[in-house]
Amino acid sequence: MQQCCNNFLDLCIINIKCKTMKKNQIYFLLVAFMCLSQLSCDKDDPEVPNEEELITTLTYTLSPNGGGDPVVFTFRDLDGDGGDDPIIQGGTLAANQSYVGRVEFLNEAEIPAEDITEEVEEESVDHQVFFSSSLSGLSVTYADTDDNGNRLGLVTNLTTSSAGNGILTITLRHEPDKSAAGVSSGDISNAGGSTDVEAMFTVNVQ
Amino acid sequence: MSAQECNLRMKGKVFDDASRTPLEFVNVFIQEVSDGAVTDINGDFILTGLCQGEYHLNISHIGCEAKIIRIDLLRDTVIDISMEHSPHVLDAVVVEGEDGEFRNQARQSVNRQEIADNTNLNLAGLLENQSGVHLIKNGSGISKPVVQGLYGNRLTILNNGIAQSGQQWGNDHTPEIDPYAADKIVVLKGASSIEYGNLGSAVLVEPKPIEKEDHLHGEINYAFESNGRGNVLNARLEQYTSAFGWRLNGTIKKYGDRRAPNYFLNNTGSEEANLALQIEKSWKAKTFFKFYASTFNTTLGILRGSNIGNTTDLEEVLIRDVPFFTEPVFNYAIANPRQDVSHQLVKGEVKHFLKDHQVLDITLAGQLNNRKEFDVRRGDRDDKPTLSLRQYTFNGEAKYTNDLSEFWTMKLGLQNTITDNTNDPVTGILPLIPDYLSWRNGIFGTLNLVKDEFELDFGLRYEYEFQDVAAISTSASREILRFENKFHTLSGLVSAKFNISEKQNLSLNIGYAMRAPGINERYSNGLHQGVSGIELGDPSLTTERSIKNTIEYKWVPNNNFSISSLFYFQHFQDYIFLAPQDELRLTIRGAFPVFEYSQTDANIYGVDLSTQFTISNTVLGIIRYSYIRGQDTTKDVPLVFIPPNSLYSKLLHRVKKTYKLTPNVKLDGLELEASSRVVFEQTHLLSEQDFVAPPPMYHLLGAKISANIITPKYQIRVYAKADNLLNTSYRDYLNRLRYFSDEPGRSITVGLNFKF
Repeated sequence: MQQCCNNFLDLCIINIKCKTMKKNQIYFLLVAFMCLSQLSCDKDDPEVPNEEELITTLTYTLSPNGGGDPVVFTFRDLDGDGGDDPIIQGGTLAANQSYVGRVEFLNEAEIPAEDITEEVEEESVDHQVFFSSSLSGLSVTYADTDDNGNRLGLVTNLTTSSAGNGILTITLRHEPDKSAAGVSSGDISNAGGSTDVEAMFTVNVQ
Repeated sequence: MSAQECNLRMKGKVFDDASRTPLEFVNVFIQEVSDGAVTDINGDFILTGLCQGEYHLNISHIGCEAKIIRIDLLRDTVIDISMEHSPHVLDAVVVEGEDGEFRNQARQSVNRQEIADNTNLNLAGLLENQSGVHLIKNGSGISKPVVQGLYGNRLTILNNGIAQSGQQWGNDHTPEIDPYAADKIVVLKGASSIEYGNLGSAVLVEPKPIEKEDHLHGEINYAFESNGRGNVLNARLEQYTSAFGWRLNGTIKKYGDRRAPNYFLNNTGSEEANLALQIEKSWKAKTFFKFYASTFNTTLGILRGSNIGNTTDLEEVLIRDVPFFTEPVFNYAIANPRQDVSHQLVKGEVKHFLKDHQVLDITLAGQLNNRKEFDVRRGDRDDKPTLSLRQYTFNGEAKYTNDLSEFWTMKLGLQNTITDNTNDPVTGILPLIPDYLSWRNGIFGTLNLVKDEFELDFGLRYEYEFQDVAAISTSASREILRFENKFHTLSGLVSAKFNISEKQNLSLNIGYAMRAPGINERYSNGLHQGVSGIELGDPSLTTERSIKNTIEYKWVPNNNFSISSLFYFQHFQDYIFLAPQDELRLTIRGAFPVFEYSQTDANIYGVDLSTQFTISNTVLGIIRYSYIRGQDTTKDVPLVFIPPNSLYSKLLHRVKKTYKLTPNVKLDGLELEASSRVVFEQTHLLSEQDFVAPPPMYHLLGAKISANIITPKYQIRVYAKADNLLNTSYRDYLNRLRYFSDEPGRSITVGLNFKF
């Protein structure tokens, strides 16, 4: 049965190579006939889509004011929606210190890695990054604006006070309502939109 | 011309099609002379002083579908007219082409007048008032039928005899069928279907045969609906020339945003454009050829505020009264998120009557289903769908029927279905369900015995299915995974019907059926648009088996009352369903609930009650009640997504008088109607089985007024109706968007049906 099928497949391959719609229809009819005449039928390998919109990595780089090594928080989930756990790296910050924070979004499933931050900047009006923390002394304020003068959040100022442990949550919203109550001061409650990134990091302030 | 005879007489009798008893107060109206008569207590009528010529008789009666009969009057004539009066047919009269298997299975149908009076509804919407039928909705423009708890992969929808093949696994995928190309929509509530290999529930969408009239005639239906400011236009043209008969049917629809009682449902507009062509030809009344081609195309907007992602977003949405992105502005434009679906069907059928009561029926059909779903995307990707599936299907079947003797009939059939499903990688997203090729071959046989007051049916079916699946793994490597599956399924049916007396009968059905797991059930992988979270298939799922019992009792003591009760019990082994998992999946977009296709043992059972009564031939009442319950018997928890109980009732008053608008134009058959639908709360569900408790019970009132305007050349039916008359705010358990918004509020529809 496999041998007979191979002969027919040769005919099919010629048809597969042609990409026009008409040839696809002929191919289908041929397959239909093959199946009717009880030969084994094969489905072509699928074309793996180019996942250019995928964000796999968020990095939040905090550079202390007055000099010193930057602290980098990383959230990396290379398989997208797949079942493999993401790799999350929190960080340790100094107490009573102020930092300049920079957020970066990457698609590291592509090699070389694709910089998604550029896209967010280009569509700055449609995006806003939100920061919240369970640590009462830790505050983040916006240091940049979008093309309309509203908040964006790719560049921020972070200030710590007393020592402690907690969670820092960074959220990227697509098409939030920037005019809703509290949104311009970084309160996500009324923002709406769809969440493109929501990353939680453990923060240790000492 | 020589002096015409204008003293001809036409007399006749009108009786009920099923019971053959005479019908009183039937209006028999001759269009051309704008005059008519009403039948007396014996069903008799008489019209005198008529000239020779061709006449169209309009026959109408409360509770019956109106009929138009064409007659060539040359001399005094006596005619007998039968009307389909009771919905509860006792003695199924064999109509040419009607399948023996279906006769004993419980069924309800929607006729052409109901279809024309509800031009604002889609296919599922037309069935909502039948007992045992519920709707799964994704907002108001998208709905699919649930028959006795079965939907999606478990419900077969036949469009002109061809099983609709598309992505029916999706709960947000409306069947791509134009109901306005049909004259009858039948809901079958059987125990198993031998001819179509399903679990017994089916919806049949059937156009009637082309009338053998040699002049061009047709009808135009138009409706305007206030909620959504929707316009629907349907036109039909047909003619039976000496060569062949043809019918052309087209529908266009345009709707804007719907409105809930307190706010607009932004981005819920829809557009639709359909065309169908039917051709019939016969040779010597022995060979019949039918050709059918249809195209269905729709764009459906999805509520803008329903586009949420992870569990954080979901929590925010659940506490809101009004969805995000709600604006107080009406818009016809449809933006993302939206669906773009098209479906093409081509069918050719040859039926040949051999000698000695044998019939051979061969059908070949091809379908192409194209489904694109669009989301709000970053960058210039708004035009790229997030889901793009193209599915080709080929159906071939040969059926042989033989009336073996006065009592026995047998039927044999051979069927072949080939399905080719391909994802378009232009989406830039991993496909939700994989590419595949599937090949199904089925063989079946039925035996039917009719003797005196007794009818018996036996059926057996065997099917072989082969699938070649080509999936892409979701691990970072994105490698190709291949699966080859083979399934053997068997179905059996025994059904019996007894006429207990002239006025009562009892039907018993037992059916056994097997269903191979659907491609989505084994191989789904990813986020399905909307709230469902991440759906995971399980490649190890096995064939589902079910045994279903139905008992139907019908009592029709006279023309004025009928009642039918249908009890059903379906036991499943390895019932496949989407089970919520305890874990949340963490991704860079946040945490998502995870649902995995699983198998369990389950029972689905219920009762469908329906009654119709008429009082003094001017008032008609209908009451329909459904009770249904689903239970996972392995874990002893309720099944999710089982419809709640519902009660539908309608009271209709028909005014006997015929009004003269002008000397030649009459108004006839004025009817006033009030209806009510009560949907009870789904209390059979545990709180951990859903994000939010099912909504409370709701009650909707409706009203309608309709009349026929008859002129010498045309018949025009006009109607105005109100749905959700009291503008009630409510949510429905089976609407996937109930997490976000209310259902639409009051809607007034005005329409006309113009026959020529």
